[in-house]
Amino acid sequence: MASSVAQKRLFHEYKNLSTNPPEGITAGPVTEDDMFHWEALIQGPEGTPFDGGVFAAELKFPRDYPLSPPTMKFIGGGVWHPNVYPNGTVCISILHPPGDDPNHYEHASERWSPIQSVEKILLSVMSMLAEPNDESPANVEAAKMWRERRAEYEKKVRDEVKKGLGL
Amino acid sequence: MTEEEHSLNIPSLLTLAVVSYFVLRWFFKRDDGSAGGGRGRGRGNAVDPAQVEQIAQMFPQLSTRDIMWDLQRNGGVLQRRQRGSSQGVDWKLYVFADADKNPPPSFQPPVAIPSTNTPPTQTTTAAPALKADGQDLISRGTPSKTTWSQNKEERQQLLQKRRDDMILAARRKMMQKNQGDAQ
Repeated sequence: MASSVAQKRLFHEYKNLSTNPPEGITAGPVTEDDMFHWEALIQGPEGTPFDGGVFAAELKFPRDYPLSPPTMKFIGGGVWHPNVYPNGTVCISILHPPGDDPNHYEHASERWSPIQSVEKILLSVMSMLAEPNDESPANVEAAKMWRERRAEYEKKVRDEVKKGLGL
Repeated sequence: MTEEEHSLNIPSLLTLAVVSYFVLRWFFKRDDGSAGGGRGRGRGNAVDPAQVEQIAQMFPQLSTRDIMWDLQRNGGVLQRRQRGSSQGVDWKLYVFADADKNPPPSFQPPVAIPSTNTPPTQTTTAAPALKADGQDLISRGTPSKTTWSQNKEERQQLLQKRRDDMILAARRKMMQKNQGDAQ
């Protein structure tokens, strides 16, 4: 029962994202036979070292979506970023379940709630690429490089962007 | 009754008008032939009303005047389409990006052709296939317009196409940028 609510909601979001797609974002289910598994493409924000890149990510939705948030993981090559784990998993507040935050650095309003959406997640990830959050590094090495050796960080990101496009 | 008469008479009217147009044209052209003969024109470029109709069905966004101009001047999109595809060119872009497509204001179509929204009845044999083909070509030519379908398989294809387009565009842009940097 709960999963049919989730499916309907996901289908609705899929339709909205297709008919009125935000700039630089394409997202939808890998196949409509499984609405709980999506793939998204995000364009690297302009004016950042990610500019020009297209990043693929998979989204996995729980059966009780939208009560619980999906998980998001970049696929096909790493995204060198303080808030992305080396395995590609994205770590930002909108993907964190509601409730008390043990670390007390996120506001409840930033975290997941059923009024959020896939679109908001993807837009948040886009702005995360532009502005890393230094408070909760998922990739400690990348965070350190971003903080201390910015030029090296930016070069590494640009190289990976090219590699990601097969160039 | 009047409608039936009207639609029956169009082809003969058209043929007559087209033929007389070319006779007159040829007649006047002969006089200043030595002056303006630089732009060679094939003999097979006479405007065939059936062809105008065909093209109008494939490209509903083109006006009859544009089609006639194109047929007369270039031998028509159908021929250019074949040329384009044999060269491995995306002929849709080829046709629509052609700056010469628009006739000059001075161009007078040989005849006034009725609105293509009500195609005459004779073309029914060829029309359905052409129309389906044309619509498909048009939707493929403007990917950003159609992003949703009532059909599951079509939706899947549209999504895949948007993904492919996004990656291709990024790749093309990056290659251009790299070339620019190298120079």
